[in-house]
Amino acid sequence: MDRLRKNTKIIFGIFCGLFISLIVYLSYFTACEREKLIQSSYNRRLWEQEDRVTRGTIYDAKGRPLADTVIDNNVKKRIYPGGEAFGPLIGYSDRRLGRAGLEDVFNGELLGVIEKDPMILLRQKILGVSDRGNDIYLTIDSELQKTAYSMFRGRRGALVAMDPNTGAILALVSSPGYDPSNLQKKWDSLVKNPDKPLINRATQGLYPPGSAFKIVTLAAALVSHPEIEKKVYYTPGYVKINGRIIRDYEGLWPGNYDITNAFRYSSNTVFIQIGQEVGKDDLFSMAEAFGFNARVNTDIPAATSTIPRPPMLGGEVELAEDSIGQGKILTTPLQMARVASVIASGGKLVTPYILQKSVSPLGIERSVHNIEAPKQVMNKSVADEIKALMVDVVKNGTGSPAQIEGITVAGKTGSAQNPFGKTHAWFVGFAPAENPKIAVAAVVENAGGGGANAGPIVREVMLQYLNSLQDK
Amino acid sequence: MELKMEAIYNKTLSATALIGFIAFLLLSLKTSPFSPVPIYGAIAFAAIMFTGYFLSNSLLYGQDSALFILACFITELGLIMLYRIDPAVFMKQINWFALGVLAFILSSIVVKYWVNLKINPLYFFAITVILLLLPLAFGVEKGGSRSWIQIAEYSFQPSELAKITFVLFLAGKLKDGRIDGVLRLAAEILAVAGLLAMARDLGGAMLFYLTALALVFAATSRWDLTAAGLAASAAASVLGYFLFGHVRVRVEAWLNPWQDVPGRGYQIVQSLFAIAQGGFFGTGLGLGHPEYIPAVATDFIFSAFSEEFGFLGAAALIIVYFLLVYRGIKISLTVKNSFLALAALGIVTLFGLQIFTIIGGVIKLIPMTGVTLPFMSYGGSSMVMSFISLGILNGIRLNERRQEADG
Repeated sequence: MDRLRKNTKIIFGIFCGLFISLIVYLSYFTACEREKLIQSSYNRRLWEQEDRVTRGTIYDAKGRPLADTVIDNNVKKRIYPGGEAFGPLIGYSDRRLGRAGLEDVFNGELLGVIEKDPMILLRQKILGVSDRGNDIYLTIDSELQKTAYSMFRGRRGALVAMDPNTGAILALVSSPGYDPSNLQKKWDSLVKNPDKPLINRATQGLYPPGSAFKIVTLAAALVSHPEIEKKVYYTPGYVKINGRIIRDYEGLWPGNYDITNAFRYSSNTVFIQIGQEVGKDDLFSMAEAFGFNARVNTDIPAATSTIPRPPMLGGEVELAEDSIGQGKILTTPLQMARVASVIASGGKLVTPYILQKSVSPLGIERSVHNIEAPKQVMNKSVADEIKALMVDVVKNGTGSPAQIEGITVAGKTGSAQNPFGKTHAWFVGFAPAENPKIAVAAVVENAGGGGANAGPIVREVMLQYLNSLQDK
Repeated sequence: MELKMEAIYNKTLSATALIGFIAFLLLSLKTSPFSPVPIYGAIAFAAIMFTGYFLSNSLLYGQDSALFILACFITELGLIMLYRIDPAVFMKQINWFALGVLAFILSSIVVKYWVNLKINPLYFFAITVILLLLPLAFGVEKGGSRSWIQIAEYSFQPSELAKITFVLFLAGKLKDGRIDGVLRLAAEILAVAGLLAMARDLGGAMLFYLTALALVFAATSRWDLTAAGLAASAAASVLGYFLFGHVRVRVEAWLNPWQDVPGRGYQIVQSLFAIAQGGFFGTGLGLGHPEYIPAVATDFIFSAFSEEFGFLGAAALIIVYFLLVYRGIKISLTVKNSFLALAALGIVTLFGLQIFTIIGGVIKLIPMTGVTLPFMSYGGSSMVMSFISLGILNGIRLNERRQEADG
């Protein structure tokens, strides 16, 4: 009998454990999982919330509205004062069409459902402001964005400008864009448009980087084989690897090139030779250190830029193609802006972000970006060497269209071959070289040479941004 | 002492009635145009509760009033949610509540005067098996399991009644603290669990099996048998996962409901959305969206409750259930007759496991199995049998007191 009593107590102990686990799990769920679920696009309650609350406003860095809700005859209407230049970035929120862009990413903030602190929720209820979502402030400079967009003149392409030291995105342009106001009427023509304006090319477009990738090859060479710096390479204007011929561009003279000249004039054949000396593994790991093959952990979702893992055996052709940014490497303009930032910031890989802060209806400000600390990709001395070579590219080489009087611009061009026609024009750079304030990557699809086509766009963006800093 | 307790019970009872009036008044005000029906509901509930309380107190001197009051409180919360979900369902449920209270008193009386303790457990086993065979032979399918029989417009779940006969069978078998014929007992337990599994009531099969295991452990202290039993159930789960499609669906919906939200993950995801929406304080009564949750009146009523009453309400509800388990265990500990002690323990174990299974299921702590939440879920069988379970616990306590007085 005593045995039965003892065992009954053990069973009661087990029940204590089971019931406590229910409450503990429920607490964990309420504290940690809740936010994600509330914002899930499968959650029908979101649309209810949408009807009830006034969606918050999206502002640029200087407080200019980019998306706002106005009440017109008791009907809430979302307006987008930024127009076409902002469409692919800001996106839309429409009951029939769904959500896209930042309207989607920050939906929880804009609807105010993200608030976790129960006391704040209670205060909002009491003060009667619970029917308004949070306003958000982006890091975007809308004047810069408009200028950049207009420089594309409707051509397909994208541009990302960021602060190379912090990762704050200053402009994120995809061209052609669209005006998200009154979207339902335009929807069919936008969907049918062969230029696909609904896609945000800056974050979702995956392009071969072409010669702009030589920054990475150069970094791998300088880190793992510093002696390359003093070597001289001969090029007859082409190189043959396993029967495959890869040529320099027509304007390049055959002859002897040191690393400065090879980078200045963007010699494919010399960089293939450098790549062979670096080896496929070192090149691959340097590319990964630059952020390839990793999801960007940021508040703006971007496609992952990829470089294929080198095969165990062989792979000479692949290595040659990788060294000059052709072949199977694919990158987003956002990733190339990060590549430029690595050099600009003395070797640090920053995480880009676009949300500066959110402001609740009670005026409580919150900086939401929980950014990882930048990783050191290479020594500052190596970064500074590459920086000097990039300055030279703009001063004397392929990047000359990006020159700005009185400001030292560093850059690298790329003319990426692709199966769809003329080369994609790339320009990746930053300025001022001595104390970089802005890093830019731009691509113009099928436009031809990088310097001539993408260079002037980047130049204009840098100039305007640096002037605006001076005005302050 | 008794008087002091009585005063506490009376206060609790009044508070329960008051909560009912406030909640139903809110529901009245919320319906536009103003509807007095919920108020009538509150009056009906209070009338049944008070009548049941005073009737049972006068008939059964020395009963454990806490059991009845806690059960009424949970029933009330269930009724409030059911009115929210569908007033027609509420009307039916309040009748079941009345019937449950009556069944509580009757079963208390029957057990109190239960003198002949020497019923051969084989009879209970036979009744259990017959009860479980009934739906397999004449049953109708409901919610994926074939565990219902339909008589006229009423459908009834015999496995609810089988819970009690099964526990009595085990208590009779194990009352001497040893097992005559381990293999035979194992075969009998597995036969019962197997019949439930054949009706696709896997949650039920698991509850019966684990309860049997708990009783074997409690009566014999045989760790080896308990461990073997647990290992066997683990093996059966793995086997079930590979053999039966519907087990796989449940487990996959539990592991990753996001893979197929419109399909197999639908139920659990809607449940989680509701609980998430509730947050700490809840949306408030009448302000949630129970209509988005499937099977909200039965399996998922806890999710709807969590949405409107929040984490605080849900945790409080879990604690109230826990208190019921505690009172049951306490009764089992005070009883000297080992048959009655085991019977009490068995009923509490089934009851407690069932609560853990369904709440754990809807909050995605464990895979979802379709069992009802006692006193809250809509359904006559569940409501009446839950009250009978409590009545038996109450009766066991009274029986003990009666024998003490006699001796």
